[in-house]
Amino acid sequence: MRPKLAAHHGLVMLLLLATANSAYAEGERELYLLHCGGCHRPHGYGAEPEVPGLRDALGKMVQVEGGRDYLIRVPGAAQSPITDRELQRIVNWILLEFNADTLPPDFTPLSLQEVSMARTNVLADPLKFRQQLWRQVLATSQ
Amino acid sequence: MMGSQEILRWLDDFTQKSSRGLAQRSSRRHFMGRLGALLVGASALPLLPVARVFAADQTDTLKEMGDPKSCDYWRYCALGGTLCTCCGGSVTTCPPGAEPSPISWIGTCRNPADGKDYLISYNDCCGKAVCNRCYCHRSERDLPVYAPSKANDILWCFGTQSHAYHCTVAVVMGEASAA
Repeated sequence: MRPKLAAHHGLVMLLLLATANSAYAEGERELYLLHCGGCHRPHGYGAEPEVPGLRDALGKMVQVEGGRDYLIRVPGAAQSPITDRELQRIVNWILLEFNADTLPPDFTPLSLQEVSMARTNVLADPLKFRQQLWRQVLATSQ
Repeated sequence: MMGSQEILRWLDDFTQKSSRGLAQRSSRRHFMGRLGALLVGASALPLLPVARVFAADQTDTLKEMGDPKSCDYWRYCALGGTLCTCCGGSVTTCPPGAEPSPISWIGTCRNPADGKDYLISYNDCCGKAVCNRCYCHRSERDLPVYAPSKANDILWCFGTQSHAYHCTVAVVMGEASAA
């Protein structure tokens, strides 16, 4: 009976772990819905051309220089009425939840320090910066 | 051909044999253990990934009170506009001929029926002239227009055929507690 008992125990632990994990992600999802999901929509599809989508493309963006910072510096992120820590949680969640297929294998989540630094560096012309960034993304993915 | 008496006797024998066999071969404790595990397991299941909470409106399971045609209805705590419930729509659907805007204003409101906060999505219905019934302006956690994503004075008819504002619906997106 021992191995069976162990198997049952393992299953119970797995259930508990899954519950705890989903509760953690629920916090991020809620922050996302409250501060981003209205325009970028609950599953990140956006509403082009007014609102860019947040799916798949960002995994490539974090691989070019300035890409990680841009995700924080873009006005919708930088100017949201949330703390640096909340912004860090939301952006990392967006990357892992909506961009898992395009993230580099060695991706490291944005650190709090990285977020705080980038947030003070206001983008004078977000649209122009974004276009330059995309040219860079396209050049590296060819 | 078996007569009805024979069928009944056969059924009797079969039931008796299979019951005795089951009792001899299986342990009651084992069964109770399995049943217990099943019950405990089943009670944990609803807590597993709760994407359903953020699916569509949960009106079916939600306890609510108040009149959706009145501005003081709990879901309208941050609504600025006119109520679709007074214009031929419902609290979650646009009136015929109006198109729901895909983007929305999301806030939280406290449901007096259970004392919990819920995420509410205010979607504008667009493409028809403004419905002049049931004007409503409440502004919990609403910010001035310099914070456009948190200002409910802005019309949210983006991504629709027409930018003409008709009325607003209030969709419950889930419970707000984790953040």
